[in-house]
Amino acid sequence: MIASLWSSIDAVWSSPLLRRAAAEAALVGVLGGVIGVHVSLRRLAFTTMALTHATFPGVVIASLLGWNLVLGSSAFGLLVVAAIALAGGLGRLDHTTTTGVILAGGMALGVVLVSVQDGFSTNLSAYLVGSVLSTSGSDLALTAAISAVVCGFVLAAHRPLVASAFDPAGVRAAGLAASAVDVGFLVVLVVTLATAVPAVGTILSVSLVVAPAATARLWTDRVGTMLVISPVIGALCGAGGVILSHWWDTSAGATIAAVAGAVFVGSTLISPSTVSLRSPGRSARRQTALR
Amino acid sequence: MAWLTESFSLPFMQRALVIALIVGAVGGVLSAYVVIRRLAFFADTLTHTVFPGVAIASVLVQPLWIGALIAGLASTLAFTFLSRQRLVEDNAAMAVILTTFFAVGVMVVSRVTTFTNDLITLLFGQILTVDRGDIMASALLGGCAVLLTSVLHRELVARAFDPEGSAAAGRPVWALDLALNVAVTLVVVAALRAVGTVLVLALLVTPAATIRPWVRGVVPMAIGGALVGMSSGVIGLVIAYQASVERDVRLAPGATIVLVMTTVFALGSLAVWARRSIRHRVST
Repeated sequence: MIASLWSSIDAVWSSPLLRRAAAEAALVGVLGGVIGVHVSLRRLAFTTMALTHATFPGVVIASLLGWNLVLGSSAFGLLVVAAIALAGGLGRLDHTTTTGVILAGGMALGVVLVSVQDGFSTNLSAYLVGSVLSTSGSDLALTAAISAVVCGFVLAAHRPLVASAFDPAGVRAAGLAASAVDVGFLVVLVVTLATAVPAVGTILSVSLVVAPAATARLWTDRVGTMLVISPVIGALCGAGGVILSHWWDTSAGATIAAVAGAVFVGSTLISPSTVSLRSPGRSARRQTALR
Repeated sequence: MAWLTESFSLPFMQRALVIALIVGAVGGVLSAYVVIRRLAFFADTLTHTVFPGVAIASVLVQPLWIGALIAGLASTLAFTFLSRQRLVEDNAAMAVILTTFFAVGVMVVSRVTTFTNDLITLLFGQILTVDRGDIMASALLGGCAVLLTSVLHRELVARAFDPEGSAAAGRPVWALDLALNVAVTLVVVAALRAVGTVLVLALLVTPAATIRPWVRGVVPMAIGGALVGMSSGVIGLVIAYQASVERDVRLAPGATIVLVMTTVFALGSLAVWARRSIRHRVST
């Protein structure tokens, strides 16, 4: 078994195609891991899910018109954010419900647009589970550039991001615009997902944004430490998933997401936070949450 | 009205109509509970987590709904466990469960040669190829879901609006939550053949979200939701059929139904906004 795993690692390393795929998956893992920490602080997991699904029509329209896919899905992502905000302002509906309506409606619009053309199945499954194995050199360069920009933003805006997530009223009192930080973060999230989705698919994008950060949360109470652990986990899951998918002959995107989930499940069983829950003295401190 | 009877003159369209009406009614009723409990994300999670069950059942040549039911219940239990342990916040827990279960389903399907086709059928449904057995299964599962929520109606509403009071009255919150989660799972499974797993979310949220600003009380919301669900089903099927016959344009019927429903929601929201701004002007 070890020998066949080793031969898979060797195969991934020696094939330029698989090496690029592993590098892309690892990069998206870093990108998702970093942004995921702030997604989890702001409880935006469902919004992330909605953004990946509801931007689908943007990708379809952009590919029909021959535009850049990242541009098309970014533009549609901003529309989606605006629609969620607008629909929330109307009627007596909560954020979760309007997000659900817009997620499903956006996905349906995308499916109808794809069904009008032929080649229904291929496009759709590539969109959902990704085609990380067909990563080109320019895809890789784009992901690297976006990763650098996003990491730079998260580092530069660290204080206002954390402060507005925990204490928006305090931020406003200090004379800073909390809503500007919120909107800025959503724009960065949209751009991140617009980069990740065409490359690795919707489910995998959500997985690499949410799972590494949730896993990191189990191992530490500090935001700064999470920002280090989470991208490392994301990168390992990305590269490890490509190797395992080659070994098991399964879909690469799905295997990466399953590995990220398995790492989370493993951590729930052995991490210090689970252990501390078993001893009553420390569980009270745990509920005071992040520092 | 000739176009209406003409659209449903063929047997496969009649079967599609019957299942669209069943699924629309059941989804509409359940959507009232999903909206008052703010369970949209949980419903979305379930629509994805039934997928590995469907995939494994299809590989083992077992009835799909049994696999879906098992996987749905397993993910419900996993979520209940994570939520009670307070290890991570609920949104993150649901997202991780969703992606992990779904990914396992895709891994199973990807080992089979007809990967893409199977995946698309399971995800988006094939309402035009349903048979009598599918209709019976949908009616049975959906009927159970509606029965479950009707029997527990008072308790479910009390738990939604006043969880502490409900718990103080000796009604176990976890049991009520589990019952509603099971009912949602049943609807997801019932709608599998018609609209597929991904678009069931619309059936479970949009109808009641459309009606909510216009009515008071959960029962009118459930009835109105069922009406929205059923009429969207009929209109969506007619549009898909007419587009195919008259214009030779292929529209995926399941997604067209969802799009009709979303359009109704958008128009309703506009009307709410117009009503409010008129009232505002009158009062000032």
